[in-house]
Amino acid sequence: MKKTVGIIGAGTMGGGIAQVAALAGFDVLLHDVSGDALKASMERIKGDLRKSMQTGRATASDATGALTRIRPRREFNDLGAADVVIEAAVEDLEVKKEIFRALDQIVAPRAILATNTSSLSITSIGSLTKTPESVVGMHFFNPPAQMKLVEIVRGSQTSDETVRTVYEMALAMGKTPVFCSDTPGFIVNRVARPFYGEALRLLGEGTATAEQIDRIVRLSGGFRMGPFELMDMIGIDVNYAVTKSVYEQFFHEPRFRPHPIQRRMVEAGTLGRKTGLGFYRYE
Amino acid sequence: MNRPRDTEAKRCVFIAGESPLAEEYASACVGAGMEVAVRFNAGSGGKLPAGAVRRARAGKKDTLGIELTNTSRETKRKNLADMDRALPSGTPILSASAATTVAEQSAWVRAPERLIGIAALPSLLQGTLVEIAPSLPAGRQAIEASQRFFRELGKETSVVQDSPGMVLPRILCMLVNEASFALGEGIARRGDIDTAMTLGTNYPLGPLAWGMKIGLEQVRAVLEGLRREFGEERYRTAPLLSRGTLEGSAERSAGAPPTHSQKQRGNRP
Ligand SMILES: NC(=O)c1ccc[n+]([C@@H]2O[C@H](COP(=O)([O-])OP(=O)(O)OC[C@H]3O[C@@H](n4cnc5c(N)ncnc54)[C@H](O)[C@@H]3O)[C@@H](O)[C@H]2O)c1
Repeated sequence: MKKTVGIIGAGTMGGGIAQVAALAGFDVLLHDVSGDALKASMERIKGDLRKSMQTGRATASDATGALTRIRPRREFNDLGAADVVIEAAVEDLEVKKEIFRALDQIVAPRAILATNTSSLSITSIGSLTKTPESVVGMHFFNPPAQMKLVEIVRGSQTSDETVRTVYEMALAMGKTPVFCSDTPGFIVNRVARPFYGEALRLLGEGTATAEQIDRIVRLSGGFRMGPFELMDMIGIDVNYAVTKSVYEQFFHEPRFRPHPIQRRMVEAGTLGRKTGLGFYRYE
Repeated sequence: MNRPRDTEAKRCVFIAGESPLAEEYASACVGAGMEVAVRFNAGSGGKLPAGAVRRARAGKKDTLGIELTNTSRETKRKNLADMDRALPSGTPILSASAATTVAEQSAWVRAPERLIGIAALPSLLQGTLVEIAPSLPAGRQAIEASQRFFRELGKETSVVQDSPGMVLPRILCMLVNEASFALGEGIARRGDIDTAMTLGTNYPLGPLAWGMKIGLEQVRAVLEGLRREFGEERYRTAPLLSRGTLEGSAERSAGAPPTHSQKQRGNRP
């Protein structure tokens, strides 16, 4: 079993993944370009582990052990010691390209390079390295500490061994990994599109109100949240960006076409819960 | 003023339609203490729930007619015309409208003012709410009568505008369709697609399992209704659904390493 995990980007996802990996017994090197981000992330992890202890989700020794296993690192080259690197920096192909080119120079030849990207191609990221066979997608969900799913995404050159290794790693972290090939939106972000897309069309056509649609989907369909409540929670801008990305990557397949209502809301800055106004009003 | 017929002492419901939708409604009605007569469409099979009787056509005594056919417009049209002729004027007719708009059905009956569309698809009656879409000329009486009926079944109602697939059938069947496209393209294994959707987005059931529960023929009928009405490429049916099975390509996917998936298949849920 690979022992040392390097994590790049100590944001929402990177910090969460670091915590999960450390709780599972991996040694974690957590790196960020921003010292402040690194510090804030360590604080968040501490707070979260403390809460896990209080609620009995983790024992005191698990939590303190995990904390000692996470080493914050400002120096990029320190990641050279990792057996597996999980990249969770910003979703920007240029940034990721630079990171993978640099990683290629410092890691051991057999190290695995994973990315947590939601929308970029694993194959194109892999093509920047000398070892595309060891580049793989490891797509966690937010928040990583709670969400069980990990999509393991195989680029066109990713080896079976690489896929197997990260699969075992995800299992060791207590996750439920699924396999997926390198296609736009992978499984979840693609298959979920109609949930929002058809709901927006129904609203736009005046078939029912947003409240009504949410209620129908919950009470008649048994979903935990309706599409509009969910979009408000995710953020209208985030949801719109994912839709656009899947739509464009599928060369404008009409099933994925974004809806003008989304764009209008993004332009208006009514982005859901985080702005206090979306499809609903929040206090 | 006439008393609305459906408030008379004992509700007598006549149901015509396909299995399993007709059974589901029949047993819910029997369970709510109603008198239930059923006619299953020819060739659709169907098991009569205990307490219900078989009857060839609606009669003067019936206080409510329910037409439950999604997969054949021809049969639906005939069932509705028969009911329209046999039921006294003012007796409401509820009609499954997941695959055919209420507007289109309105042309098939002489008294469209008593026609109320319902979002009926197999298994949806397990929920606690039913969407209804009144025909354009429907009066308050017919709408309230259908709401009373569903209240007696313990369901609340939500009144939506007439639109192909209404709300939930449209969203649900498009999810099944997208999952079927993904499966057909081999991006992931069947079980992995369902697992991803239940764990990644908290859906109560994976879309492929859901499609099987509803019945692929029903899903197809809803998608064809959407396609017919909107004329858009967006609503074309996934090849696997057209073929009528989710088996086959299911176990092979470009994502999973072959030997590993072989080994794992036995012990994965
Ligand atoms: N937030 C989600 O819901 C979610 C879910 C799944 C996947 N993802 C993916 O995970 C990745 C991270 O997302 P996030 O929400 O955690 O973002 P975030 O903005 O919270 O964190 C990104 C962090 O990366 C750091 N960073 C930026 N450039 C860097 C570089 N060159 N080297 C090192 N660190 C750098 C930033 O300082 C920041 O702390 C993205 O690829 C995103 O698409 C996000």
